Amino acid sequence: MSDRVSPIDALSPVSRAYGEIAPVSADPRWGMVVDQERCIGCWSCCVICKSENDVPLGMWWNRIDTVGEALDTPRLVNGELEMHWMPLACQHCENPACTKVCPVDATYLREDGVVMQDPQRCIGCRFCQVACPYGVRVFNWGRPDRPTDFDTGMVAPRPVGTMEKCTFCVHRLAEGQVPSCVWSCPTQARIFGDLNDPDSRVSRLIRERGGEQLLEERGTDPRVFYLPPRRKRGLEP
Amino acid sequence: MSTVATTEALGGERSQQRTLRIWIGLLGAGVAVGLAAWVYQLANGLAATNMRNPMMWGLYITLFMYFVGLSAGGLIVASAGRLFGAARFKPVVRIAVIEATVAVMIAALLLIPDIGRPDRAWHLLRYAHVTSPLIWDLTIVTVYFLISATYVWVYTRADLAARGSRLALGTGTSAAELRRDDRLKGILAAVGLPAAILLHSITAWIFGLQIARGFWYSAIMAPLFIASALVSGTALMILLALVVRKTGKVSFKDDLVRYLGGMLAVFLAVEAFLVFSEMLTAAYPGAGFEADPAWRLLTGPYAGFFWFEVAAGLVVPFVLLAVPRLRANPRWVVAACVLAVVGILIHRVNIVLNGLSYATVPYPPGVSIGTAQPVGQTSFAVSYFYHPALIEYLVAGGVICFGALVFTLLARKLPLREGAHAAASASPAPAREAGMSGENSSG
Repeated sequence: MSDRVSPIDALSPVSRAYGEIAPVSADPRWGMVVDQERCIGCWSCCVICKSENDVPLGMWWNRIDTVGEALDTPRLVNGELEMHWMPLACQHCENPACTKVCPVDATYLREDGVVMQDPQRCIGCRFCQVACPYGVRVFNWGRPDRPTDFDTGMVAPRPVGTMEKCTFCVHRLAEGQVPSCVWSCPTQARIFGDLNDPDSRVSRLIRERGGEQLLEERGTDPRVFYLPPRRKRGLEP
Repeated sequence: MSTVATTEALGGERSQQRTLRIWIGLLGAGVAVGLAAWVYQLANGLAATNMRNPMMWGLYITLFMYFVGLSAGGLIVASAGRLFGAARFKPVVRIAVIEATVAVMIAALLLIPDIGRPDRAWHLLRYAHVTSPLIWDLTIVTVYFLISATYVWVYTRADLAARGSRLALGTGTSAAELRRDDRLKGILAAVGLPAAILLHSITAWIFGLQIARGFWYSAIMAPLFIASALVSGTALMILLALVVRKTGKVSFKDDLVRYLGGMLAVFLAVEAFLVFSEMLTAAYPGAGFEADPAWRLLTGPYAGFFWFEVAAGLVVPFVLLAVPRLRANPRWVVAACVLAVVGILIHRVNIVLNGLSYATVPYPPGVSIGTAQPVGQTSFAVSYFYHPALIEYLVAGGVICFGALVFTLLARKLPLREGAHAAASASPAPAREAGMSGENSSG
């Protein structure tokens, strides 16, 4: 990781300013808002996540589920066709189910609210994957399969036989930049910020638009909040 | 059938030796194949199995909990027999405790091929995380293995000493030492029974504490695991005892088989009641967190497994064992035991398959499979059809063959018949070949 040139340094000042997390309180608690009203299901965030974090073929840290009949296919509700998208990655729970069950403490909750995974300690028992209610953890089942012969990511690739997952792009957070999925979203459906700051954009959006947690009843208390679509996009069946 | 032991003549002895050699040879081959398969799996990663992200645990974990359950028979008969004074179990106690030791060893070994990084297994000691049920389970599996192994030694020690075996670890057969044996057996029973209950409960909690899984997250898991362990453990013990009786290493009357069969009928009834209570509670709401997986089990793609478990694994063996006339015939008891052992295996399969095979966030396209798929095939799955790969069968088969080999050798070398030391303590028998049985002719 350390031998790599930070690509953020290479960014133009405009791009850099675009990705800046600001303002930030002294003791930040990172969180994300996903505006389902804005999401167009383009998978840009998923694709940039793969190259940013060098996620091998067949594995996705981030995906876009369709709340519908099938992928990008609406379902019939009360005689009307209905569909919206649910971008899904690690929910960075305040009370994670995965960290509790790890037998070697390889997955843990950081002070700033990021649920991290230590690929050097993980023994590959997959208990965290069983425990996670969101199905967002991915395992290195075999030798990584990549479209290129070289590593593409901004972070070190993970060894075979270990678990990996979304890290909120911790390497970018350290530079004061939002995760790459937030940066890349063409409709600005993802908003990132400090939940400890009541005036941050994420805090205000959650308050004002009624941010919902996925599978709230499981008690995991995710730090990713969904803003449900306000109007039904009805189409005649 | 009880006369088999006494009619075992020298001619039978020779053919038995040959059978034994073939059996050991087959098991050895199974172990070798299993090891080779494991090396292949190590070289290719767990991608060599059919497990993937949407179905992350498979045959290995299923068999792990199955063999944990199979170990129940031993300590229940040995400990409960001792604590509640059932002297009639005496002829089968040693087989039972050997079964417990071997079964729990197989269970522990099955975890090694399941983890992605066996080379990091030492992390479990170095970084043990106390909130993980897996750490609790590894602890109790170790404790239980040690208790079972101690049990085997304490029960066979005096007879080994009478034989002059080094396995007696220098102990003798004096009256004081025999009295100490008795005291040790009492202590082991008092420790062994709670340890057995903990073992099955903690194994249940690996599954039962998962808030992500509606089919698992239930307080009934621990009692259910104890019940299914009692069913499969007792059934296997009856089968093993009958097999060993065929070789003439032990003798007991069919009456004991009838009695154990009656016990198994009670265990089956408890298991059936708990399964019914679990399924009714889960399925009654009709839809939701608990009901969806319950209905998938009742009517979904794996429903055949569930109804097999109920019919062939619970109802039929219960009827066979509950009707006194049928129970009195060892053949029917054997049939019931085989069905119960298979039925509980299917029960374990149902727990894993139904708990894991459906995405917890059930929207398409679902969870990423985890390995690159051929062009034109989706990389995601909401529900994933899992069946073990050949490599999984071979590795698991190798572990089981190794266990069977250990059981065969222990049952062969250790004195399974009690009472030799009673005479020996009066007039010490000349030391025979150390560690060798050779008492078949005396049957």
